[in-house]
Amino acid sequence: MESNIRKNPNNYLVMEQNPEADGQTTQDEIIELKRQIGVLEDALQAAEETNKAKSRFLSNMSHDIRTPMNAIVGMTSIGLSHIDEKSRVQDCLEKIRTASSHLMSLVNDVLDMSRIDSDRMTLNEEEFSLADLIHDISVIIRPQAAQKNQELQIEIGMIQEENLLGDPLRLRQILVNIIGNAVKYTQANGEIHVTFTQSPLPESNAQLPSSDKVSIANGPMWLHFQCRDNGMGMSQEFLKRIFVPFERVHNAATSTIEGTGLGMSIVKNLVDRMNGKITVESEEGAGSCFQVELPFAIAPQSQNSLLLPQGASVLIADKRSPQAAQMAAYLQDGGLIPIHMESGVKAVTWLTEAQYENRMPCAMLLGQELTDMASLDLASHVRQLAGREFPILLVSEEDWAQVEYRATRAGVSAFVPCPLFKSKLLTTLATLTNHGRNGNSTCADHNQDLSKYRILLVEDIELNQEIAVELLSVTGVQVEVADNGQEAVRKFETSPEGYYNLIFMDIQMPIMNGYEATKQIRQMSRSDAANIWIVAMTANAFVEDIRLAREAGMNEHISKPVDPDRLQEILYRQFTAEVT
Amino acid sequence: MQSYQEEYIANINDVIALSARKKPDGLTFEAYEDQLLQARRSIEHKIKRNMKLLRENLFPKLDHLLEATPEDIQELQEFAGKLLNSRTADAGLFCQIHQALLNRTRLTKDRYGIIRELYWLGIGRFSLYTKVVGLDFSMIEKYISSMRLCFTEAAAYLKYYDDIEDSETRGYILRSRANISLGQFKTTSEKIHLVNQTLQILQDKDYQAKAPELPWDRYIYMTHQQMAASISYNKESPMTPKDIEDIMESVYIVYQRRLMEATLQKKSPPIRPAFNYDTIEYYLGLNNLQELLTKIERLMDSADPTDYSPDNMYTLASLPAFYCQFLQQYPERIPERKEYIASLYERILNYMDSFPETAENETLFHYLKQLSLAFVETESSISYANFVLKLMERFAPETYVHSYIVGKAAAVMSELILSEEPNYFDDIGFLRAIKNPEEKQKQILTYAQNCGLYHDVGKISFLDMYSHTARQWLEEEYEMAHLHTLAGEIFLKTRQSTELYAVAALGHHSWYDGSRGYPDTYKRLNYAERQMVDIICLMDWLENVTGIRRLYTGVEKTFDQAIEGAIALESRRFSPLLTARLRDRKIVSLLRQAFTEGQKEAYGRLYLEKGL
Repeated sequence: MESNIRKNPNNYLVMEQNPEADGQTTQDEIIELKRQIGVLEDALQAAEETNKAKSRFLSNMSHDIRTPMNAIVGMTSIGLSHIDEKSRVQDCLEKIRTASSHLMSLVNDVLDMSRIDSDRMTLNEEEFSLADLIHDISVIIRPQAAQKNQELQIEIGMIQEENLLGDPLRLRQILVNIIGNAVKYTQANGEIHVTFTQSPLPESNAQLPSSDKVSIANGPMWLHFQCRDNGMGMSQEFLKRIFVPFERVHNAATSTIEGTGLGMSIVKNLVDRMNGKITVESEEGAGSCFQVELPFAIAPQSQNSLLLPQGASVLIADKRSPQAAQMAAYLQDGGLIPIHMESGVKAVTWLTEAQYENRMPCAMLLGQELTDMASLDLASHVRQLAGREFPILLVSEEDWAQVEYRATRAGVSAFVPCPLFKSKLLTTLATLTNHGRNGNSTCADHNQDLSKYRILLVEDIELNQEIAVELLSVTGVQVEVADNGQEAVRKFETSPEGYYNLIFMDIQMPIMNGYEATKQIRQMSRSDAANIWIVAMTANAFVEDIRLAREAGMNEHISKPVDPDRLQEILYRQFTAEVT
Repeated sequence: MQSYQEEYIANINDVIALSARKKPDGLTFEAYEDQLLQARRSIEHKIKRNMKLLRENLFPKLDHLLEATPEDIQELQEFAGKLLNSRTADAGLFCQIHQALLNRTRLTKDRYGIIRELYWLGIGRFSLYTKVVGLDFSMIEKYISSMRLCFTEAAAYLKYYDDIEDSETRGYILRSRANISLGQFKTTSEKIHLVNQTLQILQDKDYQAKAPELPWDRYIYMTHQQMAASISYNKESPMTPKDIEDIMESVYIVYQRRLMEATLQKKSPPIRPAFNYDTIEYYLGLNNLQELLTKIERLMDSADPTDYSPDNMYTLASLPAFYCQFLQQYPERIPERKEYIASLYERILNYMDSFPETAENETLFHYLKQLSLAFVETESSISYANFVLKLMERFAPETYVHSYIVGKAAAVMSELILSEEPNYFDDIGFLRAIKNPEEKQKQILTYAQNCGLYHDVGKISFLDMYSHTARQWLEEEYEMAHLHTLAGEIFLKTRQSTELYAVAALGHHSWYDGSRGYPDTYKRLNYAERQMVDIICLMDWLENVTGIRRLYTGVEKTFDQAIEGAIALESRRFSPLLTARLRDRKIVSLLRQAFTEGQKEAYGRLYLEKGL
């Protein structure tokens, strides 16, 4: 029995039986036909969904692009109409920059999605430091959390291997996306708790990515990452769609939060490509918890074992905190004895006693907070109490670039970033305690060889000359002396360019004073005249003296009698900066 | 002392006397103005002379301190000692000398010397930082910590008390131990705990037996006084039951001793310990707040307005500050006391006006400063705005004159701008809301005048630095003086009569482009009042570099040089919208006139003693 297919008036396909057709053939044809119809219906549905997604994509994109573009166009107009008012223009430019950067991230997300869809995204394999990567992320995210007065805790659990092989750029993208979302979708004063741990990947389960993605040459390791917040959370309905492109929570609270809805989709794709796992738990109004597990190969060991002064004590000055406990644990692992003081008063008391009894610790680790005073205020006093050689390490979540000036002026010798990693802490300690060295750039290395540098000391009093020469010579630096300003000018003028690296200049001198000498040096037409660092040395500490020194062309000022620590701090700061 | 040292100290005394408010005393205005201008010239001369004395004599000595003989060192210590005398109190130079001496003892590893110099440097810093008492702890923590750590290091040698052979050094150690608890703490309990530990050490018979020649009784009594003064009225840092228990004993001891002394001298019972006694009874629950307030009122009412003795001054000027602190904490108690508060303020101001020019002026000012911090403003009493103005006129007439000139010049500049751009200040909500153009202009000019008048009100905290320093500031003093912007904002923003001017106090040392200036908390673009603050910034600077304050900072210009200087700082320090106008000779001439007239008017107001 044959059948014919035609459309009915409602545009549905209907099958009409041909009474003359063979029964079995007809049955087969019907099955085939049904299958074809099924395929066609699926194709139609897929096409319709693609079309809908395309429309939604275009709609979202046009909205998301239009929003920052509106800001750019609007702010440009406002800026132009207030062109003479610098601060107004500056304000507009700041807003344009923010909008542009949002637009750029939007375009990047779309490009990433496009690469993922077309399977053009490849993962790099390179050695990277987990410590550096997490510190970088912390520096990016912390200011955002601080703006909302949120408590962002980044806790480092058991990390056996800090140097890994993988794609750090994509790993950072995953982490920044998840933590960034937590900051965005958590209310002001909320809490975000991030933890990193590692566990070995059992060989039987070592389902590592294919060889083009991650090498297994040095043994695999799972990196576990968890980000828990007490923010607005998500509904169970939304959770099912969280990894679908362009899906975002829509409610009054989120309407002002910028985002494309692509971030989590990209994260999911990247995690999949890295052969990892991602899970999300969330409750509306209570918060969310993202957990990511990623396998990484371990980078080959390259660093030498650390030479630490085994059995020596290290003073930790920090209020009781997980960070202080972590410092103590790491020191113990390094064979050192941690002594913990929570307040500045207790730390100074302990150090004074230790100095009296000749049992000074080999260093002080200064945490972010003390119970009674600011950490840098303690550093200032300890630097005077304990002398120039005593290592003071600031262990802080702040960005070193932001605190460097204040910290080095207070006498901090080196910086160890937080989240705290054992390797960073012990390496820096080893460097400073002269038992090892690895060229840490955030370390004002007081053991550095300065013999290639030459200093001109301009001082009229012989005894002061002797003392300063002795203090400076300890560092290995070469010192030449001029008895007055005129001689200093002559010496500088007749020396080859770049001969002197720094000048310490007394102010009150016979024949020619320090101001005049500095002015004459600065006016010389040689290339080093404008740049050579000139430090005024005088007991004249009035603000006018400091201003006059600056106006004469001096770079900074130290008071007399010269504090040896201050003198050497300048030396190391100047020359270490040059090396860095 | 050497002759330069004697001359230096004599000059300080002269500058303090010359800076004090002058009463007209029957002079004509012209003669009065002449007297003030003459005083100003004398101050200028003495400050310059003192600078010369230090540059030629003291600083070379500090330069060569390592060559100094023991006699030189002793002479420096003696000079420093004279500097910290309560009247002169040049704490900045005192610290400078002792810091140099401490560096020397550290270099020579003279342990006893280190202990002694740490103690004196701590004392100097305490004296220096007394100026900032009352500001938020976070603002002044740095200064308190540097003082505390000096005492802490010296006190740490207590462990080696037996090894130390001379009593003098042992005395320094014990006094340092007691002084660790000087100044503010994050919590009251922290302070009380430290004082308690000190008491235990001082009462330890072993320590006493090893140095019987030390004045133990005095040490212990002073520590009890310190403990008794630790009563906290701060709601944010309330005392625990343990704190109250610790304080209680000291309060009773001090009270009994002062009562006994008064009885022996046939004097009235002392007020201060009596107040502490009443207060501790309140904290123990023996009195309720109503009873305590009534007791304080009775004590204040018992004061004699013609008695200028320390105890009476405390009752009349300091107790009201504590009284207001309680009212600030419990504002529900204010309505029923409005009339009383009004009469209390009136009494205090009359007392201030009639107070003779004596050394006690400093103490009176200190008490009134405390009152200004705790001031409770009601519609029945003098406004806070007028109260602080009266303080300025009375204790800092030069700051008042400066502020008046700045206000006058700001109003002139505002008027010039309004003639070209009537909507220039429309970012400021309350001015924009005024529809009537004439009324709006009037309000803007009043606002400009008052922003000028109150912009430096924070200097009240640093009065002796601004009017009693007979030399240029040292670096640390200059840095401390920066806090007057934050202090001014705190004073003004919490009272209705002054809240509008708080932003001028905060932002008047900021730079237009934000690249420099202070404080960091003033972000120009975040404030709707920025256009007015810009004007105050400019006028304040012009007056500072041409007026008397240039003596402290060393930036000294004629009016024409100042105008050129301001133009040179266009778009960086000053708003280009303002400096553009400084290129117009007519405008400069009007400003010059405003500065001259402003000074004359300010002197006129001081002459008439009428303030606003």
